[in-house]
Amino acid sequence: MKKTLVLLLIALLAMGTVFAAGSKEAAKQDGPVTLRLSWWGGDSRHTPTLKAMEAYSAANPNVKLEGEYGGWDGYYQKIVTQIAGGTAADIIQIDQPWLAELASKGDVFAVIDNSMVDLSQFDADFLKNYCTYDGKLLGLPTGTNVNTFIVDDQMLTSFGIDPNTKWTWDNIITEGKKINQKDKSAYFSGASPDIMRYWFEIYIAQLAGAVVDNNKKVAFTEAQGTEAFTYFKRWFDEGIVAPFSQTSLFYQKFQENPSWINGKMATSWTWVSSMDKDIGARKMSTRQFPVMAGAKNTGVLMRPSQIMVVNSNSKNKAEAVKVLNYLFTDPQALELLGLARGIPATVIGRSTLAAMGAISTMAEKATNEGIAQAGLPQSTYQMNSEVIQVMQDVIDEFGFGKLTPAEASAKLIKNLNAILATL
Amino acid sequence: MKKGNEMLTRKRYTYIGYLYILPWIIGFLVLQLAPLINSFWYSFTNFQLLGDPKFLGLDNYKKIFTNDPTFLQSLKVTSYYVLIAVPLKLGFALLIAIILNQNIKGINFFRTLYYIPSILGGSVAISVLWKYLFMNQGIVNNLLSVVGIPATDWLGDPRYALGTISLVTVWQFGSSMLLFLAGLKQIPVSQYEAARIDGAGRLRIFAQITIPELSPIILFNLIMQMINAFQDFTSAFVITQGGPLKSTYLYGLMLYDQGFKFFKMGYSSALSWILFVIILFFTSLTFRSSESWVHYGDSL
Repeated sequence: MKKTLVLLLIALLAMGTVFAAGSKEAAKQDGPVTLRLSWWGGDSRHTPTLKAMEAYSAANPNVKLEGEYGGWDGYYQKIVTQIAGGTAADIIQIDQPWLAELASKGDVFAVIDNSMVDLSQFDADFLKNYCTYDGKLLGLPTGTNVNTFIVDDQMLTSFGIDPNTKWTWDNIITEGKKINQKDKSAYFSGASPDIMRYWFEIYIAQLAGAVVDNNKKVAFTEAQGTEAFTYFKRWFDEGIVAPFSQTSLFYQKFQENPSWINGKMATSWTWVSSMDKDIGARKMSTRQFPVMAGAKNTGVLMRPSQIMVVNSNSKNKAEAVKVLNYLFTDPQALELLGLARGIPATVIGRSTLAAMGAISTMAEKATNEGIAQAGLPQSTYQMNSEVIQVMQDVIDEFGFGKLTPAEASAKLIKNLNAILATL
Repeated sequence: MKKGNEMLTRKRYTYIGYLYILPWIIGFLVLQLAPLINSFWYSFTNFQLLGDPKFLGLDNYKKIFTNDPTFLQSLKVTSYYVLIAVPLKLGFALLIAIILNQNIKGINFFRTLYYIPSILGGSVAISVLWKYLFMNQGIVNNLLSVVGIPATDWLGDPRYALGTISLVTVWQFGSSMLLFLAGLKQIPVSQYEAARIDGAGRLRIFAQITIPELSPIILFNLIMQMINAFQDFTSAFVITQGGPLKSTYLYGLMLYDQGFKFFKMGYSSALSWILFVIILFFTSLTFRSSESWVHYGDSL
């Protein structure tokens, strides 16, 4: 008994020293400041970002910048865990849907105003629609990202399809089916189950405005859902898209499908920001999306490529905002960063890169055409991860042929209502 | 006086002993016990990782048992997985152990060789490799097509995906095999000789000497592998992400999704405690049953 007591005491003492050491370090504030930046991406983003950080430290020797970077997989989980544990970086790159999801759970991001950063550099609507929560500006958009429809001109031509076709929902089927008719292992669309969900969301947006509206209500009727599922059933039946049994393995990474890489699939929905990665070694160009007559909303998404936020727990918020200001508006930083985060969202960013000749014509065309076609922003409810999962689950069952269009529509509405009631 | 001194020394030694294991004790208290207690408390709340948890009573548990079809699906998948992977793995491990128990030249090389998958096994890289072996245009289908067997969606067809994933686990038979091998070495040769002289055939020797003599090790392997299989996560997460149609949606994946994808830590904690009870139940059941089939040499 005594032994256990002594043991516990030792343990507690030891724990005490551990925590004491922790707080001592936190108290150290004067002198040089160390700021941590975290982001996800590939080398094409890591290298320029590190270079821009180095340049900032060279000009501001009292500020040391440390990068914490890696791939996309697990990044969100890491960030949320760090925020919860109070160990998140000072400056964090987040994806747009997370802003509302995280801000709704507490005061996690610092508020940014015009005295800290020249906000006139940004499109006011863009800041208001995508970077603001509860009336407060919580982050800055790195670039403008839009949906785009990438097509392999050469492959289309070789199957007797005019690559300059202006795509409609109908001719995707009437023209697109030529591919699978001639080659059973080739398809018009490279869509994996998650990409099929995006197509479904676009179709429903055009029919009904949205899947879930800003009032947390399902925005489409059962008949409209059935209509959409009936349309996409033809994609499967007429060989527009490969069966889910072949593509489900590439959930959230359709570009890794060997059929896609080897040019057995001709087109895909994607984001301009990930277009280069998706196209890989292939030769492709971009097109606009089909829009039905009388569409309520094109469903084509436009949003910031990423958002940079300042951790509200940061001990050096003012310094962190200065770094943001540098990364977003300083010509030197903009030159170093180049297209690491897509075409910049700032006026000065775009003019700097244009002067350098750094913006590729393909990215510029895709962005401009996407902005021209962009629909309304999705509601935060539609972007909620549980809502997305509900949609995905029904689309999976439908795609595997377990549900008829009418059943899928009914089940989707029922499950959406159930999950929306808990949000 | 002398005795007192001895006591003191012994006491001192005990303290020094504890001092040595202090790093482990601290690790256990801070990294295991504290989270364990915490998660029990969270399981009665709506803890969301950020913000303060609100006490919900038994709501999480009620929802799991009455209103969560994914829970049932995941439980079903996990049970199948345990039923497929554990017996296959143990059987395979035993078979290889018996083969490697022969006195052949260079046997140590083969023993090392067969242990390698276990060193690599749990890693993400192996899961990725598995994906490329078994995908529609993967190596397995290519090899099969040589013999004229049509391509199968090993990982894309809900009927086969779980079995294919289980193979990853079975393939990591090394640690069980090593234990079996050590056990086989313990069996006195005299028993085999006696049996052979009495005219027992190979199968009979296997069934009546090898298996009973190995039974304590079989029990240990069975329990450890069962616990591991119930908690498995990596291969299903990396290869199929629980799909197609949630056919590989192991319990560990569901825990992860609820906790780290939807940030419902309270709900996820409740699910963990249910898994804990399930594992506890099957472990004690196995222990109970062992009385009738495990033979300990010294009790003979």
